[in-house]
Amino acid sequence: MSSRGGVHRVLPWVLFVWMAVVIWAAFLWAPAASGFVGQSSRIVFFHVPTAWVATLAFLGSCIASIRYLKTRQPIDDIRAQAASALGLTFAILATITGSIFARIMWGSYWNWDPRETSITFLLLIYAAYFALRGAIADPERRAAMAAVYAILAFVTVPFLVFIVPRIYWSLHPDTIINVQGKMKMSSRMLQVLFASLAGFTGLASWLYCIEVRLERLRRARQHEELI
Amino acid sequence: MSDSKKGRRLWYAIGGVVIVAFLAYGATSFKTELTPYVGFQEAISTGHHVQVAGSLVQGSSRYDEASKKLVFSMADENGRQLEVEYDGVKPGNFEDATQVVVIGAYRDGVFKADQLLVKCPSKYQGLEESGQSKRS
Repeated sequence: MSSRGGVHRVLPWVLFVWMAVVIWAAFLWAPAASGFVGQSSRIVFFHVPTAWVATLAFLGSCIASIRYLKTRQPIDDIRAQAASALGLTFAILATITGSIFARIMWGSYWNWDPRETSITFLLLIYAAYFALRGAIADPERRAAMAAVYAILAFVTVPFLVFIVPRIYWSLHPDTIINVQGKMKMSSRMLQVLFASLAGFTGLASWLYCIEVRLERLRRARQHEELI
Repeated sequence: MSDSKKGRRLWYAIGGVVIVAFLAYGATSFKTELTPYVGFQEAISTGHHVQVAGSLVQGSSRYDEASKKLVFSMADENGRQLEVEYDGVKPGNFEDATQVVVIGAYRDGVFKADQLLVKCPSKYQGLEESGQSKRS
């Protein structure tokens, strides 16, 4: 038990150092890519991981929701809620970094490119998840309906994240994690990107654990107040 | 007991149908609604304010001093060409562009663009490695 507590104390510091190194490497160690305006290619080290983490979190929300419908344990509802919140947050970050990238590279913050349209849908779909949660007072009903909605919402994710950008002509370049599995990146940039992907996944996992703990405390307190 | 089991199975069936319906909707409806880019033919025939995507015809661009406009040709996948007149500051990476998007309307035999977006081949190769000189 105590060793587990020790690991939990050390891990955030490992993450802190890791992310610090990633940020340093993204700006100073990786070379600027050719064909890009100035140093703008470096946004990719933050833009891609945020999108990746968002997709991962939405998957987590779907899995937790399926579990909730099976087990009806409040903890699974808490997990689904925390994962959805993280997914939405990181999707917004991906949109912002993407929009800045688009301004620099394409010449417009927003022109309803298929990629931009599809992420707007995604944001609206998961924003509606929280609207739904807010609209139902009874906790068990809220959890069940939110779980059903989260499963449905995730059905659209493969479409909006993977299929849409591959069907339409888009200004967006081929995704780095592409279908052909080819990495069109020089080795140093690839190393930084993978380190960043790992770092962001760790960061999101940490935030997720904190949010789950917080939400448990919030609900426990609410419960006490009711009694 | 068996009643609740039956009810549960019904809900699974309904859920499954809804998911399939969602997928079908996604596959069909999104196809036409999700892209803002229209073909050359549509842009020319409607004359509306639209977005047109195509490849930049290499060497076709020139800056017209008299009218202070950037003039170039773009081609679609069928090789059809469209002449574009752009009134504005030339994007910094225009020379590297392979594909462009123009936003504007077709008038008097030429596409008058008020916005010009460019797509550059993103290789994520270092400047030194690819042997290209650095451009601002």
